[in-house]
Amino acid sequence: MSTLDKPRTHEGRIVRRPGPRESAPEAAHRRRRTLEVSLAVAVPLVLVLLWQLAASRQWIDERVYPAPSAIVADGWERAAEGELWPDVWATLRRVLAGYALGTASGYLLGLLMGALPLVRAALEPILDALYVVPKLALLPIFLNMFGLGEGPQVALVAATVFFFVWISTMAAVLAVPDGHRDAGRVFGANRRQMFRHVLLPASLPAVLVGARIAAGVAVLVIVASESIAASDGLGHLIFDSRALFQNDVMFVGIVCVAVLGVLFSELVRVAGRLLTPWAPRDRGRGQS
Amino acid sequence: MRSCCPALARPAALVPALALTLALTLAGCAAEQPGLDTAGRDITPVAGCGDRAWTDPGDLGADRSPARCAPRAPAPRKLSKTRKLTLATSTLTAEYVAPLRIAIGKGEFRKEGLDVDLKVLPTPDALPLLAKGEIDALWAAPEAAVVNGINSGFDIRWVAGNFSPHPTSKSGLWVRLRKGENAAKVPLEGRKIGTLIGKGSVISYPMDTVLAEHGAAMDSLTFQQLGSSDVLTAFTSGAVDAAWLLDPVWRQVDKDGRYAFLGGQPAGEPLGGALFGPNLLSADVDAGVALLRGYIRTINTYFRGDYKKDRAFVAELAKAMKQDPDVVTAVPSLRMDWEIRKGTTDRLQKAYRDAGVTEGKPVPEAQLVDRRLYAEAVGHKP
Repeated sequence: MSTLDKPRTHEGRIVRRPGPRESAPEAAHRRRRTLEVSLAVAVPLVLVLLWQLAASRQWIDERVYPAPSAIVADGWERAAEGELWPDVWATLRRVLAGYALGTASGYLLGLLMGALPLVRAALEPILDALYVVPKLALLPIFLNMFGLGEGPQVALVAATVFFFVWISTMAAVLAVPDGHRDAGRVFGANRRQMFRHVLLPASLPAVLVGARIAAGVAVLVIVASESIAASDGLGHLIFDSRALFQNDVMFVGIVCVAVLGVLFSELVRVAGRLLTPWAPRDRGRGQS
Repeated sequence: MRSCCPALARPAALVPALALTLALTLAGCAAEQPGLDTAGRDITPVAGCGDRAWTDPGDLGADRSPARCAPRAPAPRKLSKTRKLTLATSTLTAEYVAPLRIAIGKGEFRKEGLDVDLKVLPTPDALPLLAKGEIDALWAAPEAAVVNGINSGFDIRWVAGNFSPHPTSKSGLWVRLRKGENAAKVPLEGRKIGTLIGKGSVISYPMDTVLAEHGAAMDSLTFQQLGSSDVLTAFTSGAVDAAWLLDPVWRQVDKDGRYAFLGGQPAGEPLGGALFGPNLLSADVDAGVALLRGYIRTINTYFRGDYKKDRAFVAELAKAMKQDPDVVTAVPSLRMDWEIRKGTTDRLQKAYRDAGVTEGKPVPEAQLVDRRLYAEAVGHKP
């Protein structure tokens, strides 16, 4: 940041002195990164310590809000005894299957609707109408369609992910500048080449942003769904332990969901970076 | 350059300050846990409640007649100052809650100086509120959640029963028969059971018993928790092999040769009723006794014997339960029973442990059950 000095002469000249960002940009950037990382680590850490303190001093009711140490100990014990993994795996399996189906179908339909105005005219109204329906409201329909088991859970995740990816893909294809298309035409690109060398690379970064948002929402929706109609999974673990008044187990489930959501979202971000090296670099959350 | 705000430049200094502020704020949330105060109270005989007002808790006979006083007994003993009580129940349409609704409608609680407010709240949500004194009583059952809550130190007690099923009731475990099977012997191992409520419910106990009779254990089956309307659909469509069907849903499969009734709640043994928290166990025991007195008087006055024979009362009941009178009469009258049998909580806890939903040592009955309040209401000295 530069600073302005008060005029020292009668002529009223303004003297602009370079700030640290201009005079030592690398050091300023390092300091900024250190500050950001410190905040990112310290704030959650202090909040957890405060929670621990509040529980151990009985400022809060530890029976209702177990201490972080109790949650970690219980989670560790469950993991070591193998009780936790079946639920983690069940949720992960449903998320991955639903996410793959939803992403693939959303991407294909988004490309088609972005590239072909007639397809867009035919399908956009109905998809817009379905988009606003809370996806959890579709669970009873999926239960009727697929019965009990994995089908309804996977279908619900797929339906949720589909809309995020479909909208971002269609919008990304429509937003490809005319100049890019003109350049393709000038080089004599046919339809397939236009798609492969112009539309796909130009739209993919925006598509991956939609896919990354969908990754978080997929975890969110599967937890809600498992709480209603599943006999395993992290959502079932959370709500079952809540019904049994096992609050420490409930918090273990919540922490697992949070970790799963962060890891899955980060995985999609890293995959996106590898798939689109030409796109502006997204260095992760909370980084300027 | 010098920063205008030094704290922002040093976040490490800001964060502890924030933590200290939060800690000081939270310090005000500390709560004291009062002890129970239901022992050592004077119990005097009550007019209209004689020998039949108490049965031996150890009597587990299926044909035991539930305790009864004369109609309109025990007489109300109005509290000196009207006390507002909040009761939670997970449903208002179930028949076992009807005595409460009738008592409110007939002014039986008002006669005791109680202003009772019924709130619908699922048991897991209501339990911490009951323990903290936000609500005064919970009309539910000593489910696994209650055992876990008491195990972790909450002052909650099961203080009154609710009902046991009529001998002709077929509310319970139904199974879809396979070729060559009959109700006497159905191998249940490995089958999928649909239930409205999970393994932590009191139905685990009768289910555990029924399964044992058919050579199966709780952990040898798969449980599928379903919505109330989905249990029957899943059962009849074959999505689940067996189902715990409640009143009056079992009527839909009764007399259909493809299904068999294996067993239900044991006769003569209530598995639910009133749970009190510290408010009525310690702070205001008089109000707790008054609440049970109003409840017991309602049973003695309106729910004697086969109360569904009285068409006028059925109409009243249907209105209170917001049900159609035909639905109410589709199943036999319940045996309303305010008493708690000896060992019920031990048997429940065994089933919970078999189902893997409780941990630690079993809670002794004395820490789960308190019969002194209904004993005082009917004037019985234990």
